[in-house]
Amino acid sequence: MYIQVDQANTFVATGGKTFTASLPTVVLVHGSGTDHRTWALQARWFAFHGFSVFAPDLPAHSLSDGEALTSIEDMGAWLVRAIDTVGVDKVHLVGHSQGFLVALEAAALLATRVQSVTAMATASAIPVNPALIETAHTNPGLAAQMMLQWGFGNQHQQGASAVPGMQPIGIGQRIMANNPLAIDLTACSTYTAGAQRAQELAAKACPSCVILAGQDRMTPKKEGLKLAQDLGAQAQVIPHMGHMLPMEAPKQSLSIMKSFIQSVENS
Amino acid sequence: MSKSSFLGADTIALHSGYQPESDHGSRAVPIYQTTSYVFDSVDEASALFNVEQGGHIYSRITNPTVAVLEQRLAALEGGTGAICTASGMSALFVTFFSLCSAGDHIVSAAQIYGSTITLLKHSLKRFNIDCTFVDINDQSAVANAMQDNTKLVFCESIGNPGLAVSNLPAIADTAHQHGVPLVVDATFATPYLCKPIAHGADVVVHSVTKWIGGHGVALGGVVIDGGNFDWLKSGRFPTLTQPYEPFHGMNFWEEFGPAALAMRIRCESMRDIGAAMSPHNAFLLLQGLETLSLRMQQHVRNAQAMVAWLQEQDAVAWVNHPDLEADAHTQKLFPKGAGSMLTFGVKGGREAGSAFINGLQLSSNLANVGDSRTLVLHPGSTTHSRLSESDLIAAGISADLIRVSVGIESIEDIQADFGLGLRAAAKVAAAQTAQAEA
Repeated sequence: MYIQVDQANTFVATGGKTFTASLPTVVLVHGSGTDHRTWALQARWFAFHGFSVFAPDLPAHSLSDGEALTSIEDMGAWLVRAIDTVGVDKVHLVGHSQGFLVALEAAALLATRVQSVTAMATASAIPVNPALIETAHTNPGLAAQMMLQWGFGNQHQQGASAVPGMQPIGIGQRIMANNPLAIDLTACSTYTAGAQRAQELAAKACPSCVILAGQDRMTPKKEGLKLAQDLGAQAQVIPHMGHMLPMEAPKQSLSIMKSFIQSVENS
Repeated sequence: MSKSSFLGADTIALHSGYQPESDHGSRAVPIYQTTSYVFDSVDEASALFNVEQGGHIYSRITNPTVAVLEQRLAALEGGTGAICTASGMSALFVTFFSLCSAGDHIVSAAQIYGSTITLLKHSLKRFNIDCTFVDINDQSAVANAMQDNTKLVFCESIGNPGLAVSNLPAIADTAHQHGVPLVVDATFATPYLCKPIAHGADVVVHSVTKWIGGHGVALGGVVIDGGNFDWLKSGRFPTLTQPYEPFHGMNFWEEFGPAALAMRIRCESMRDIGAAMSPHNAFLLLQGLETLSLRMQQHVRNAQAMVAWLQEQDAVAWVNHPDLEADAHTQKLFPKGAGSMLTFGVKGGREAGSAFINGLQLSSNLANVGDSRTLVLHPGSTTHSRLSESDLIAAGISADLIRVSVGIESIEDIQADFGLGLRAAAKVAAAQTAQAEA
């Protein structure tokens, strides 16, 4: 569906079903340079199993208009404005990589409206090599390739695909090459409030879930484990997978996500 | 440049999409000769049917052995996904079926495979899909043929059997200026010689029966989604950008973006038309793919040697191969050589040509190309025999044209065999001359 946020046409994937504000809502936030298709399969499961799905393309990403936001804080505030547009009260926030940093900032603003947070293949800080940021400015296509080469785990580098016949690296390359990767990476690299935000959520006893990838080279597992500690969460590690976890292991990641979110709903 | 793998092409052909499976450690890709797959639970079955998770349901839609071939071909061509089909013709059909509806229009190269002409000119016409055939390297002709209902431009990277090389970057520019994708049948080239997506094509189709399989033992086709075309911006593709009712209103573009076409073909064409590749054929074709680069080098080397040799033979009237007096675009598209197809005519016309073919002992007279063995055919009386005289001329087929798919045998043996055929042809030509003089 398309909504207006800050006078800009904004695309929000709803998992193939009409968005219904009265249902429990799962907000899925994509990472640097990517878009809602990160969650293509997970979104459909939630949408067809009693949830409303709200998976936006951040401003200037893929199907959304607007100016790209330059800080994680701005992205978090934007996400809250987007959520408010559709009249949802409480939400489950899920973020992949940079998307979880955005979720942390949104959670700080949403306060008690947050029912849970799920972190996937991420950390409380994501420093980015300046050379990669520079390449993203000068040659976005090459930067996307560098990230995908670094981001996908061994199996996918050798052509594996969770969806038969597809090439996730090729799909990722097409999406990332056309999105404001340099701005996203700069925002990630300069964001420093993650650990504090995570500890604040833990202090509020906000239910949290951390899903990590055993072969993550973008946000190494040890950094993810620190985040889990800050959140007071038990981290679950999916072995043999890389940073692009939602696309590399959609079934396994969904299994953990849905168990966790359903348990929060039922508690 | 669009990439789908960071492995080299030879490594992709051998490894991509399969790692030794855990149960038995099979090094070769196993043949999953099964129609169907046991679901862990009713919930899992439901999730698979509703595209909430990837996996296999029924081998008409997907199969693990076929999927390995699909993923390798997608990676080799630099695409986002691939769908293998029962044959090259079914690959073309599902592509047109997925992009066009009744009332739509296609612009196609005139010099293409005879059965594809029949599909575009007659079979699709029954469903009110029209086609205009043009000289595909005349960009003003391509532009002039465009209509408001045009959905795609189609060509072969090397035309069959005329062997004209399509100027893919120029054709892609014209197509894109009019908001439509370029679909390229790249069968004669294989991804070893030319990757059309890197030159602007949006969809690539192969008959993998030919050089990719390479052994003449299995039929198959593939459609590769290039993932670069913006179906929404074009505004011409409701099949990809509007809700699809049979899948709860799925919008393929919104949900799958760069893989929208591949997913549409998977969800609709494979389900409704069912032109599935068999797992055993996929296995056989994988064996061929693994040595594609080695075979193509020998194919091209032999073809170039045969061209030079034929040009020196007194009985030969003319020889055609894309590398002869190659245009700049041919040299750019085919830096390793423009394939192993050649055509030639013998002095004495059609009758002498028949004598040539009948005089061969090693080469095979049959309706196929891309076998490891050398194949010959007279298209005017076989593959293109259903075309009218004017269509034959438009397709670049003269009455005396002999099509040769040069194999990878020892070059001296191919030349010796052709020598037999040429001697038979020369006798006919001499008799014709004597008769004319009498």
